[in-house]
Amino acid sequence: MTELEAGCAERLAPARDVAGLHRYRDVLIALIAFAVLASLPLFSSSKSLLDFVIRCSAYGLFATSLNLLVGYTGLTSFGHGMFFGLGAYSFGLIMQKLGVSIPVAFVATLAITAVIAAVIGAICVRLKEIYFAFVTLAFQMLIHSTILSWASFTGGDQGLRGGIPRPAFLGINLADHAHLYVASCALLILGLLAMRQIAQSPFGYTLRMIRDNAARASFLGIDVWRAKLTVFVLAALFASMGGMVMALFVSGAYPEFAYWTISGEGIFINMLGGVSTFLGPMAGTVLLLLLNDTVTRFTDYHGIVLGVVILFFALGLRKGLLDFVAEWFAHRRDAGEGR
Amino acid sequence: MTRTRTPGISRRSTLALMGAGAMSVAAPWVARAQAKTIKIGMPTILSGRVAQLGTSSRNAVLLEVEKVNAAGGLAGRQIEMVIRDSKGQPQEAARVARELVNTDGCEWLIDGEASSGSFAVHEVARDLGVLCVHTCSEASSLTADPKQHIPNAFRCVRQGIHDSIVGGSYAAAISKAKGLKKWATCSPDYAYGRDTTGEFTLYLKRFAPDVEVISDSWPKLFQPDYTEVVTKILQAKPQALYSCLWGGDLTSWIDQANIYAMFGQMEVFAVNMADYTALTVVKNLPKGIHSGNRYIKTFPATPENAAWGDAYKAKYNEYPTNWSWQNATAVMFLAEAAKKVNSTDGKKIAEVLKGLTIKCPFGADGTVTMRGDDHTLVGYAIGWGTTIPQEPYVPEVKAGDWKTIFELEAEWKKSKGYT
Repeated sequence: MTELEAGCAERLAPARDVAGLHRYRDVLIALIAFAVLASLPLFSSSKSLLDFVIRCSAYGLFATSLNLLVGYTGLTSFGHGMFFGLGAYSFGLIMQKLGVSIPVAFVATLAITAVIAAVIGAICVRLKEIYFAFVTLAFQMLIHSTILSWASFTGGDQGLRGGIPRPAFLGINLADHAHLYVASCALLILGLLAMRQIAQSPFGYTLRMIRDNAARASFLGIDVWRAKLTVFVLAALFASMGGMVMALFVSGAYPEFAYWTISGEGIFINMLGGVSTFLGPMAGTVLLLLLNDTVTRFTDYHGIVLGVVILFFALGLRKGLLDFVAEWFAHRRDAGEGR
Repeated sequence: MTRTRTPGISRRSTLALMGAGAMSVAAPWVARAQAKTIKIGMPTILSGRVAQLGTSSRNAVLLEVEKVNAAGGLAGRQIEMVIRDSKGQPQEAARVARELVNTDGCEWLIDGEASSGSFAVHEVARDLGVLCVHTCSEASSLTADPKQHIPNAFRCVRQGIHDSIVGGSYAAAISKAKGLKKWATCSPDYAYGRDTTGEFTLYLKRFAPDVEVISDSWPKLFQPDYTEVVTKILQAKPQALYSCLWGGDLTSWIDQANIYAMFGQMEVFAVNMADYTALTVVKNLPKGIHSGNRYIKTFPATPENAAWGDAYKAKYNEYPTNWSWQNATAVMFLAEAAKKVNSTDGKKIAEVLKGLTIKCPFGADGTVTMRGDDHTLVGYAIGWGTTIPQEPYVPEVKAGDWKTIFELEAEWKKSKGYT
C-alpha cells in the first residue's frame, strides 16, 4: 500500500463506520417497532385495536409497495390492487384445496404472483404514463372478471366460502387472534424493511434516476425495461403479502379485493401520506383507516367527509402528510441555522 | 444564534385532551357496566347503489324493536340497535361486525349483508362464537352447504331454490295451458342471476319437459343500456321469457323494453317484479307480467300482513321491501326465543331457535319456522301472480306448496352433495 492509499484508507474508515451504522439503523428501528407492536396486547385488551393493526399491516404493505412504483420509479399503476386480490385468492385456494402448511402456501402464493406479475409487467412497463396506468387497470379488470366468471373454482361473486383453514405450524396458530396479530406485525415489519433496503440500494437509486430522466438512465447503460420490470414484480410480491394478511384476517377472499377500488384506495393512501418519504404510505394507511373507522361510526355520509379530507390534502397542503411534515422540519432547521 | 420558543399546545389543553382521550377509551366499558340494555349489532349496506337494502332493513328492524321494547324488552332488557354501514365491501363488513362485538359490546348480530358480505360476517360469527342471524343473503349455500354450518348462525331469508321450485311449477302450468314451448332467459351476470335462472329452468323442464330454452342473455349488474339485450330477445322470438333482474336493473330493463313493445309479444316471468321498489318505480308497468312475491301487503291476504305494511308506510312514508319483512321476522324470532328461555344468553337462544315456529304476518299459514337441521327459514308466504299497473299491483297470488318445496329441495341438496 502506498502512503497515499494508506491516507485514503484512514479517511474512509470512519465513513464506512457511519455507513454501517446507517445500514443497521433501519434494522434497529424495525426491531424496536416490532417490539412495540408485539407488546401492544400487554397494554391494551382492545381486540379492535389489534384488528386495526392487522388491517394496517395488510393495507400498509400494499400501499408501500405501490409507492415503489409511484414514488420511486414514476410508474403510476391503477391496477396494483390485482396483486392484492391475487395474493388473497391464491393463498386461500391453496389452503382450501391442497391443505398444505401455511408457510408452503405463503411461498407458493409469492411464486404464483411473481410469474403472473412478470407476464403482466413485461407488457405494461414498455408503456409510459397514462398508457401504463390504463393497461394496468385493464389487467386488473381482467383478473377481477376471471374471478367472477370462474365461479366453480373461485366461488364467483360470493368469494371463497367456508373459511380458510389455518393449521398450526412451528407452534404458531393463526386461528388464534393474538398469534395472527403478531404474525401480521412481523410480516409488516419484514416487508417494510425489505422494501426500505430495495429503496436505499443502488437499484433503488437507479429507479429514482429512471423516474427523473429515463432517457439519461438509458444513455448511462441502464436497461430501463429490465429495471422497471424488476420493481414491478417486487412491488407485486409485497402487495400479494398484504392480500394474504387480509385473507387471513377475514378468513376468506372476495372479488372486491381485486376490484379497481382497491387500487384507488392505494393511490388515495399514497396521496394522503405522501410519496417522497418511505413511511409516507404507512402514515397514509393509518390515517385513512382511522378516518374510515371513525367517520363510519357517526355518519352514513362518509364519502363526503373523505372527499373533503382529500381536497384538503390536494388543494390545501398540496402534498401528503409526511411530505408536509418533512418539509416543515427542513424549513425549521434551515431557519434555525439562520440560512 | 437565538432560537425563540414557538408556542405549542398549552399544559391545560394537553390535560384536557388527555382527559377527553381517557373518557373516549373508557366510555364503552363504563357504559357496558351500567347498561341493562342489550346491544344488537347490525352491519348492512347504507351507501352506494343498493343502499335501499340497508335502509329498508334498518327501518323494519327498528319498527319491530320499538314494539319489543314497548312490551318490556328481551327478558327484561331493552334492545339498543347499533347499525353501521359496510359500503357493500366484505372486508369492511367483517371489520364492522368484529368492531360491533369487540368494541361496542354488541351481544348478538343481525347480519343485513348481501352476497359475499354475508359470508364474511358468517366467518366473524364462526370466529367469535356470537349469535348471528342473516337477514338479506338469499344464497342457498349459506345454510344448505354443511361446510358453512355453525351452531350460532341462522338465516331468516327466503331462498333462491325455494323461489325456483315454486316459479318452475307455476310457469310449467301456464306453459302447458298456453302451449309456451320456446323460452328465453334474461338475468344478471353474476352468481345469483346464473344460479337462480339455472334452477328455474331445471324445475320448469321437470314440470313441463317439452319446454326448450332458445336464447339466453346475461346483462351486467347495474348495466345502464339494455337495447342489445332487448333486441336479442325479440330476434329469437320466444313465446315466454324468464328474468331474475331486480331493483333498478329490472325497472330500467322494463322501461327500455316497453319502447319495443316487448311485453305484448311474449309471456314474461320476472321473479322479482312484485316488490314495491320495482312496482312503484316503473313508468308504465305492463299488465300481465308474472312475478313471484317479494313483499306485497296483499299476500298473504291477511289483516296482520296488511296492517304491518300500512304501519311501515305510515312510519317511513314508503312501502316495505322484501328485505324489510325478513329483518322484521328476525327480530320476531329473537324476541320469541328470548321469551321462551327468559334469557338473552346467545347459546340458549341458539338452542331454542332451532326448529322454533312463531306466529308471523309473513307466514304461508300465519306461522314461520326456523328449520332445525340447516338453521334456515321455511314456511314463509311464497307464490306467483300477474301484475296490474295500479294498486294492489298483484291482485291474485297463487301460493306455492311447501310440501312440494321440501321434497324437491331435499333432492336438490342431494344432487349438490349437501346431504
